[in-house]
Amino acid sequence: MTEEDLTSGLVYNYTQAAEPPTRDTRIEPTNAYLGSCRSLKLAMGQGCAKFNSRYFSQGVGCQLILALGIVRTFQNVVTIIHGPLGCASNNIGLAGFNKTARALKGKPAGDVIWIHTNLNESDVIQGGTDKLREAVLYAEKEFRPDVIVIGNSCVPGIIGDDIDSLVDELESRLSAKLVPVHCEGFRSRFVASGYDAAYHGLLRKMVDPPAVIDSVIERSPDEEERLDRIRRQNSRTVNLLNVGSTSYGDEVELSRILSALGLKVNVLPLYGHVDEIAKMGEAALNISICATHDDYLIGHLKERFGTPYVIDTLPIGLKNTNQWLRAVGRALNLTDETESLIRTETAQLTLALEPFKKILAGKSVWVGGGETRIFTTAEFFQSLGLKVLGLKPHNFDRFAVPMLDDMEEPETVAAVAAGQPAEELVYLKRLKPDLYIGHGGANGWVLRLGIPTIPLYGQSLNHLGYSGAYELARKAVRALLNTNLARKAAANVTLPFKDEWFESDPQANIKESLASVI
Amino acid sequence: MESSFIERAKTSCALGGAIAAVSSLPRAIPIVHASGGCAQTLSATYNLGSGYKGPGYCSGTMTPTSNITENDIVFGGEERLEEQIESTLRIMDGDLYFVVTGCQVEIIGDNAARVAGRFKNHSVPVLYASTPGFLGDGFKGCEAVLSSLVTDFIEPCARKDLKTVNILGFTPGQDVFYRGNIENIVLLLAKLGIKVNSFFGHGETAASIKTYGRAGHNLVFSEIHGQRTARAFEEKHGIPSLTVDLPVGDTGAETFLRQIAGPLKIPAGKLNEVIAEERSYYYSYFRSFLEIYGDLDYQRYAVIAADINYAFPLTRFVSEDLGWIPHLVVISEQPQSPEAEGKYADKFLTLTARVRPKVIFEANTGQILRHLNESWPPNRNEKYYNRLAPLFLIGSSLEGSVAQKTGAQFLPVSYPVTNRAVLTKGYTGFRGGLTLAEDIFSSLVSNR
Repeated sequence: MTEEDLTSGLVYNYTQAAEPPTRDTRIEPTNAYLGSCRSLKLAMGQGCAKFNSRYFSQGVGCQLILALGIVRTFQNVVTIIHGPLGCASNNIGLAGFNKTARALKGKPAGDVIWIHTNLNESDVIQGGTDKLREAVLYAEKEFRPDVIVIGNSCVPGIIGDDIDSLVDELESRLSAKLVPVHCEGFRSRFVASGYDAAYHGLLRKMVDPPAVIDSVIERSPDEEERLDRIRRQNSRTVNLLNVGSTSYGDEVELSRILSALGLKVNVLPLYGHVDEIAKMGEAALNISICATHDDYLIGHLKERFGTPYVIDTLPIGLKNTNQWLRAVGRALNLTDETESLIRTETAQLTLALEPFKKILAGKSVWVGGGETRIFTTAEFFQSLGLKVLGLKPHNFDRFAVPMLDDMEEPETVAAVAAGQPAEELVYLKRLKPDLYIGHGGANGWVLRLGIPTIPLYGQSLNHLGYSGAYELARKAVRALLNTNLARKAAANVTLPFKDEWFESDPQANIKESLASVI
Repeated sequence: MESSFIERAKTSCALGGAIAAVSSLPRAIPIVHASGGCAQTLSATYNLGSGYKGPGYCSGTMTPTSNITENDIVFGGEERLEEQIESTLRIMDGDLYFVVTGCQVEIIGDNAARVAGRFKNHSVPVLYASTPGFLGDGFKGCEAVLSSLVTDFIEPCARKDLKTVNILGFTPGQDVFYRGNIENIVLLLAKLGIKVNSFFGHGETAASIKTYGRAGHNLVFSEIHGQRTARAFEEKHGIPSLTVDLPVGDTGAETFLRQIAGPLKIPAGKLNEVIAEERSYYYSYFRSFLEIYGDLDYQRYAVIAADINYAFPLTRFVSEDLGWIPHLVVISEQPQSPEAEGKYADKFLTLTARVRPKVIFEANTGQILRHLNESWPPNRNEKYYNRLAPLFLIGSSLEGSVAQKTGAQFLPVSYPVTNRAVLTKGYTGFRGGLTLAEDIFSSLVSNR
């Protein structure tokens, strides 16, 4: 699949607007579809799943959380949540995580700082921009940050607080860059809209145009463009775009692979310094590891600066790491070097995986979480001889459609559901996989069914690249060495469902909209 | 008092506190009428931030929720809520269902009470509490839930039992050690023949909560939190309330028992017997630390950074029971009025150390370091400088960097606690004091 196919028809000329379109209209994903890989592909082709919803529903997540998950990591940043005290109060649970991640990645340590405008009942009536102004000025004075990000929540979104005018008013008075992020939870059914919201702010307020080459010869605009192109083609500097779930180990491994091609790798933008982010437009290539995460960012960078990108797949397991690397090689005319590297790495990894394959062959697995990560993880375990019983992507869109074909068995369950452990647990109770690989927040419930689990990603876990494949296989083998905890949990800790639910057809919970019937 | 922004507020919103409360009630199921992210995000605030207490019976990703979207904001979300309640009753197995609301639906004026009311003839109770985030912090949400239980669920009972008390002021999640704290109170009062109703303690059921109207008294372990619920008990059930401090350690527990003995009509002989017995138990263990206390000079200047429930009890423990120097107390919450603030500060006048701590109310977490720096004369390059050392800081996990910057040894107790994993541990009573001593001294020796 080429980059053009994955993003064909998508446009990225939104930076003049205060806020980006949500994924609901821009990408048209679905988060409510229960069927098989085969039927899902059909449904995606017909475009009939995107309006589906549910009778019984559990939390689908909030785009504010995903937006802040990006900007909170920047170096020397203060995040202001314009809303009541609850919005992103999960910062409390994650502050230690971010602090540790900074340390693990060798970035300047320090507390993660956020401020709530603490909107109360009278602010709902009178508006909260005065409190927001005070919070911004306090952040500037107390913390001398490089960047202050305002995350806008539902309450100001509904009552109509004009945060953009406030940003215009304050911008010139601050030494920090001031970045508004429109990520009101109620506006989108898809949390991934939060990625776009954060990157919209970053693109508008933090990324500079590439520096013009200093030259004594006066140049025409055409010449300028030509020089620019040459400058980039000659450059071996690439941006490796990280995400919230890439560990330091992942970044080291992918940087190692890219460096082996002679490339200079910037790992960005998470945990980045404001100066590094400002120069993002100067790289020769933007390399994404997750289309769901990055298409908005790299689409814009291409439209604005002409920077080509790789958005092909997520480098998990041998096949997808090779596929990802080939896409990089193609983009930079490094095909021979890439093939030679792939040959060496493939031979070494294949040999190393042999002992694990013997133990894992014939076992079964279910994978749940972000669409690109679960399909590539499932493909890897399939290649080790496990049977993939099902996949539960949080949402499903054009970026993962090609991955459906990687599943050997077309009738493999595909249960598209953001969260929704209720539905997933019915499948799991029936299919009884030997191993569950799941997103944060899902694994604990599955343990209560007696199924051993491993996490889909983790702060200190390397799952990406060749070394990540080895680690994943090693971890799966370890998980199966002793499954006592899951057994004990199932015997002693109850799930909050009635028996009838486990006997019912979860598909009956999906409400097909009229639009989808047509 | 005037409301302002808060830097690193050590709480969630009312809905967050409400979800934590419902999911800590026995076999109770929250039904969240709000946008799609509230239930999960707010749950994570406590499920991770409170010593990894987890989602309980049903919260976190498991929480049933109406997932209000832009369309519902325009046209109203009551139908969607009804559908969600109906399906939740069909699927989820609970003894109590609780509809709680978020900002979005309260602003647009959904009448969630009316929708919940349509289910009043259902075999299992469907209760309702209004808990939009803009109502305030997590404590307020817990109060809203408990107040609803008191007025709409607990059965009136004319004959009171003086040997039964309702205990209030323990907020699941906001009190990282609420389960252990409750358990210790239950065990302590059992020695006096008093039965404790606790909402959240081990062994409670929906059926047992229904009978709380029989209690002779409410004991509220907080100047602020639990007071609204206590008022509801007084108004609806005629149960009088006593406000007490969290009884941490020898001094705290004795003060507590003597305070309640009169109203609860506990005979003096029995009271003194139990105090003597518990005190003897306490020192039979505590004496183990006398050697290291003496040999290693484990007296410390103490800084306490905590919520209003913990601030005084922890200070009293280190001052009266450990013989430490209470230097500075930074309280992360603001009482309702300057008078209430003064009244709370006056508690510290009862401490018997030669110096009294400076008491500051400060919600902005980042200001704690400044208050600490300003509390002691800086070193102006003097040859002989009387340092604020050795220093021990009892705070929340967010104070880790303050401890590092000031060279203080450190134990996080007040919410949030993210670098400890907590199950049964509690700090109330004589035995809880021993647990706290163990944790403090463990921190002191942790590098050996």
